[in-house]
Amino acid sequence: MKVGRALAALLAVLVALAPGMAGAIDIKVFTTPAGIKAWLVEDKSAPVVALSFSFAGGTASDPAGLAGITDLMAGMLTDGAGQFPAQAFRRRQEDAAASLGFSASLDRVRGSLRVLSANREEGFELLRLALGQPRFDQDMLEQRRAQTIASLNQAAQRPASVAARTMMATEFAGHPYAADPDGTREGLAAVTPDLLKKRAAALLLRSGLVVAAVGDISEAELARQLDRAFGSLPLGTPPALPPQWVPPTRPRTVVVERPVPQSTALLALPGIARDDPEWYAALIMNHVLGGGGQQSRLFNEVRERRGLAYSVSSGLRTYKRGALLVVSTGSANERIAEAIRVIKAEMTRLRVEGVTEAELADAKTYLSGALALSLDSSGSIASLLHSLQIDGLSPDHLTKRGQLIAAVRLDDVRRVARRLLRDESLTTVVVGKPVGVASDPKE
Amino acid sequence: MPLPGRRAVLGGLLAGVAISPPTAALARLFAVERRNAETFTLANGLQAIVLPSRRAPIVTQVVVYKVGSADETFGHTGAAHFLEHMMFKGTDRVPAGEFSRIVSRNGGRDNAYTTFDSTGYHQTVAPERLELVMRMEADRMTGARITERDVVPERQVILEERRMRTDNVPSALLDEAVREQLYGRHKSYAMPVIGYVDDIKRLGVNDLLAFYRRHYAPNNAILIVAGDTTTEAVRKLAEKYYGPIANRRVEPRRRPSHGGTDLPQKVIRADARVVEPRWSRLWLAPSYRVGETKYAYALQVLARLFGGSETSRLWRAVVVDGKVGLSAWASYSPSSLGLTSFDIGVHPAPTRRMADVEVAVADEMKRLLDGGVTAAEVERAQNQLLAGAIYAQDSLASGPRLYGTALSTGSTVADVDAWPQRIADVTAADVQAAARHVWRDDGAVTAMLTPAEGTR
Repeated sequence: MKVGRALAALLAVLVALAPGMAGAIDIKVFTTPAGIKAWLVEDKSAPVVALSFSFAGGTASDPAGLAGITDLMAGMLTDGAGQFPAQAFRRRQEDAAASLGFSASLDRVRGSLRVLSANREEGFELLRLALGQPRFDQDMLEQRRAQTIASLNQAAQRPASVAARTMMATEFAGHPYAADPDGTREGLAAVTPDLLKKRAAALLLRSGLVVAAVGDISEAELARQLDRAFGSLPLGTPPALPPQWVPPTRPRTVVVERPVPQSTALLALPGIARDDPEWYAALIMNHVLGGGGQQSRLFNEVRERRGLAYSVSSGLRTYKRGALLVVSTGSANERIAEAIRVIKAEMTRLRVEGVTEAELADAKTYLSGALALSLDSSGSIASLLHSLQIDGLSPDHLTKRGQLIAAVRLDDVRRVARRLLRDESLTTVVVGKPVGVASDPKE
Repeated sequence: MPLPGRRAVLGGLLAGVAISPPTAALARLFAVERRNAETFTLANGLQAIVLPSRRAPIVTQVVVYKVGSADETFGHTGAAHFLEHMMFKGTDRVPAGEFSRIVSRNGGRDNAYTTFDSTGYHQTVAPERLELVMRMEADRMTGARITERDVVPERQVILEERRMRTDNVPSALLDEAVREQLYGRHKSYAMPVIGYVDDIKRLGVNDLLAFYRRHYAPNNAILIVAGDTTTEAVRKLAEKYYGPIANRRVEPRRRPSHGGTDLPQKVIRADARVVEPRWSRLWLAPSYRVGETKYAYALQVLARLFGGSETSRLWRAVVVDGKVGLSAWASYSPSSLGLTSFDIGVHPAPTRRMADVEVAVADEMKRLLDGGVTAAEVERAQNQLLAGAIYAQDSLASGPRLYGTALSTGSTVADVDAWPQRIADVTAADVQAAARHVWRDDGAVTAMLTPAEGTR
């Protein structure tokens, strides 16, 4: 009953996303004359064009000795291009009210452009310059290097950042994903303008490029603009993917001492790949355990019943060559051991007992409806279309998704819980001055 | 982020200012049909604002109460925020903790927030669930159950929230100390929204119930509904659910007309957890409601052109040319029922001392005070502010936020609609006059966050 209504709601999303269009949402998939494939939702309800795109290859392929160069390169693409040094280039962006930005993740270099549709000519011109003729001027490099090192220093003092870093380094030890995407002081110190240019040339390729656009722009016009912006990039070969990650097979606990009253804890387990047949069962399992909002078992047991934390949640994270399930919380140093004990007990209970019919039904309604809740702006819709492509899904996934969620049975959730919630592969990271939690003895 | 208003105002607005291409583009955009607020008021005094948008099949309800932490008294700090937490602990009809679960199992999301001047509760759901969330929100407007059994664990949750946001964060502890100096100890805005630890530990059922009964009433609330619905549909539901709730006498809200009396001051926090220092200076400043309010619009333009981006005067002087800072910023928010502040900050570059930063900032301020600003700079800042408002309209969440903030801090829907015009009316002379008014030593607190050794 609830599920049926949720499906109807989801279908309504697809209609309403593009006002003025009859029938379902019209995701146009097309290839430009220069051979660039793109997804477009034409939507005239706001005078804005939002573009979300990415290139294959990210910080996990930072060359040896240059940890941090990919992220630095991505950030500096908007620090001057062509004959326009940083200040002039930024001023052009401001005058066009265009926002253009790049960032790097482990697997990809991502970019986004948001521009008033009346200024799209200028917006795409700035994008073309940033991609094709980035300057990487020495003075800007010094500025960005100093800022990045300062932010590394700050992150090294922030308990949540230290916990996240330590968790990735522990979980992916020996794999490229263990490295900090922001780099190291040594790696950053070795970067030169020439090396930045080489890095840009190695990554900004048409092969592996993924593009999504939303807003007040026609297919023909978008094709013309994409060919201008991306058409002259080489086809190239993206960097090789890192090897498949081999998950750890024994539990570990790492404590990092910091002089703070509240300890931050992360509990990480090997997760599940996005294309795994049990993905939707895992999504439901995670929702019941510690997903979205204030209804989960962890929220109830850790926060509501015991007042052990303000924030407690779990999430599935996927990377190209690995996946994690991560629970996070924060509790006073004296109480963090208790919070961890309760979290572990809930993970065990879910593994042993599975979820109830009611929990299954509620999770399905929420997960079906939640997608619509995130369609808040042109940028967020473009970002969704971009993710669908990264995940290898087809445009009609938006209609299929509800059915895939609805099809999950109690047994499916129980099976995936048994598969994922395994004590023997649990990594626990605690940052603070925890009482009653200690690192494993050194071997 | 303010939202531009009606077409009639805006059609003429930028015609006279149009010089550069972006201004022309903005003028065209403003001519597009805008999302206008439709308003009505129920007999019991509940004011409603509807922002229809058919973009996605979702609707957001926000109920904002005109009460925040600045309405508390010393010794009882944190009451507004503690009460916000207790509003999820159930009524006679909805069991404790069920509010959010019901929203979630109906495919929606909900949350709440507390600020100095307001407390807000919001849910985003499919349009056919609007009635459900309205029924539940109306139910807890007067029917919240606040019991010892629920208060005890929730107090621990709030103390954990405070540890996470404040006690674990050196810059947040410094900001708390700075506000005490700037606004004057024990006065509104000087005390933290979440409350002092001792007060949080002391607040009990009776304090919270008293606060609830004093401030939660339809005539002290604003209902905002945005998204896939109509004013008529909202009016019908609001009359059905909020209409029967009796209004109550609500005390007028009071805010001090003066800030700290012992200024200028310097507050230094040397903390073993700090590696990167921060220098900042805050000045008491007029808001839309208190002080020399005529400067409220010019100060927004000033903040933008002085330190609002990497092309601003301060960034160029301190980061690009002077190289004394790694980054620099200025900010000013006029939406406050009482006084507000104009802030300037710098992260010092390695090897540079706080004194170097202070001199560089003072030099750049002096340049503006003595030499004024150009009309082109002002227009560029105005364009950026207006463009930001257009982008804000692309987001469904921004409308309720904007109107909720405005109406709980004494502004009106008309003020919100007039914002683009008032920003566009600001002249270079206004900006200079506003800077002269605010940048005075006897209204400033200088704040320094340094590593424990104090090496820099």
